[in-house]
Amino acid sequence: MKRASSEARERLKAAMARLANGDRAALEDVYRATSTKLFGICLRILKDTKEAEDALQDVYLTLWRRADRYDPERASPISWLATFARNRAIDRLRVGKVRGASVPVEEAAPVSDPAPLAEDMLIDAERDERVHSCIEKLDDKTRDAIRTAFFDGLTYAEIAENTGTPLGTIKSWIRRGLMKLKTCLEVER
Amino acid sequence: MSDDPRPEDVMAAEYALGLLQGEDLLAARAREASDPGFAEEVSFWQQRLAPLLDEIQPETPREEVWQRISAELGGASDTAEVISLNARLKRWKLATGFAAAAAVAAVSLLVLSPAQTPVPQIGPTPVAGDPLAASIPIGDTQLRLAVTFLPDRQELLISASGLTADGVHDHELWLVPQSEGAPLLSLGVIAPGEERRVALDPAVAAEMADGSALVLTREPLGGKPADADAGPVVAEGRMHII
Repeated sequence: MKRASSEARERLKAAMARLANGDRAALEDVYRATSTKLFGICLRILKDTKEAEDALQDVYLTLWRRADRYDPERASPISWLATFARNRAIDRLRVGKVRGASVPVEEAAPVSDPAPLAEDMLIDAERDERVHSCIEKLDDKTRDAIRTAFFDGLTYAEIAENTGTPLGTIKSWIRRGLMKLKTCLEVER
Repeated sequence: MSDDPRPEDVMAAEYALGLLQGEDLLAARAREASDPGFAEEVSFWQQRLAPLLDEIQPETPREEVWQRISAELGGASDTAEVISLNARLKRWKLATGFAAAAAVAAVSLLVLSPAQTPVPQIGPTPVAGDPLAASIPIGDTQLRLAVTFLPDRQELLISASGLTADGVHDHELWLVPQSEGAPLLSLGVIAPGEERRVALDPAVAAEMADGSALVLTREPLGGKPADADAGPVVAEGRMHII
């Protein structure tokens, strides 16, 4: 996996700081540096170009209007932005659900990509990457369920429906998997 | 099963992953806002899961997306449109004789985008269609839900100023489609006391017309569950050209 140069990370950090000070040009810098990654995320969750474009627009406009929400002390800009984009896309997915009963289930839940595809993107080198190894330690069905939730934005009820598994069973698998994941993520290095 | 973790021990993780819906989702959101320990845990999960997002293939959005963002930031078109809308609202207010203050408040959201430059007297920008507005009286109170639809942006401005949440219900706004027998189209759950802009799905926007009926239903927190019928209608109104 190719790492972004520390220079690119520093530029993004600086642009986020300018953004917080109300510098409108900084938004374009942040957009140019991050929009392909964030659009990939929106598209993955929403599976519709128009919806993903709307979500992306919403992400950057919200970022501009609420630039104070980002705390550089707590997270790297790219991790924070990626998480923010995923959360907004999922919000959009949940709102759309009410009117979107017409989406066929097969279409709504493609199989999660099993392997990392990251190539030339901004990745933060400083953060804790343990989730990759921790998630590999789960049993197959639990890992698949958790990955589907994460990458396709599915709820318990949707995972149960898609896999033909009773809701209680799905919750039980995932909850136990999450506890294992938590223990693994919390282990001191 | 006896070795299942207690639900409260995994709620932050479930919320961060996006597994929750309906009342569980609302409960988690409320807790995130009110319980710093819980918010901290949600943040822990989000940060630890974030590296997984690197697995997603980046995709280049069309240049048009940036242009839309840039225009939204406060180009001349915004300002011109606000001028035009305010003029329309004034006429509407005079013509109908009832207070459109809430609707004006909703429209004024447009001018809140930072750093706009006023455009002197260039006249209103032509819009793709006439904006529509509804003012829906809430029960026997003096309060009204103001709804404005901007056809060229396919956006809905919903002002629920003065309304308060009861903590056990949410209210969901629906559009009655023009075709007979078609199911109601959700316009989203109302955020009490807030003014919101909602981007409408083109399919939903296409159903907005002069005279379109809107209904407000009482639902469980989080809005109508996917597997349940809509709750009772508590208010209704119609969209009209302004």
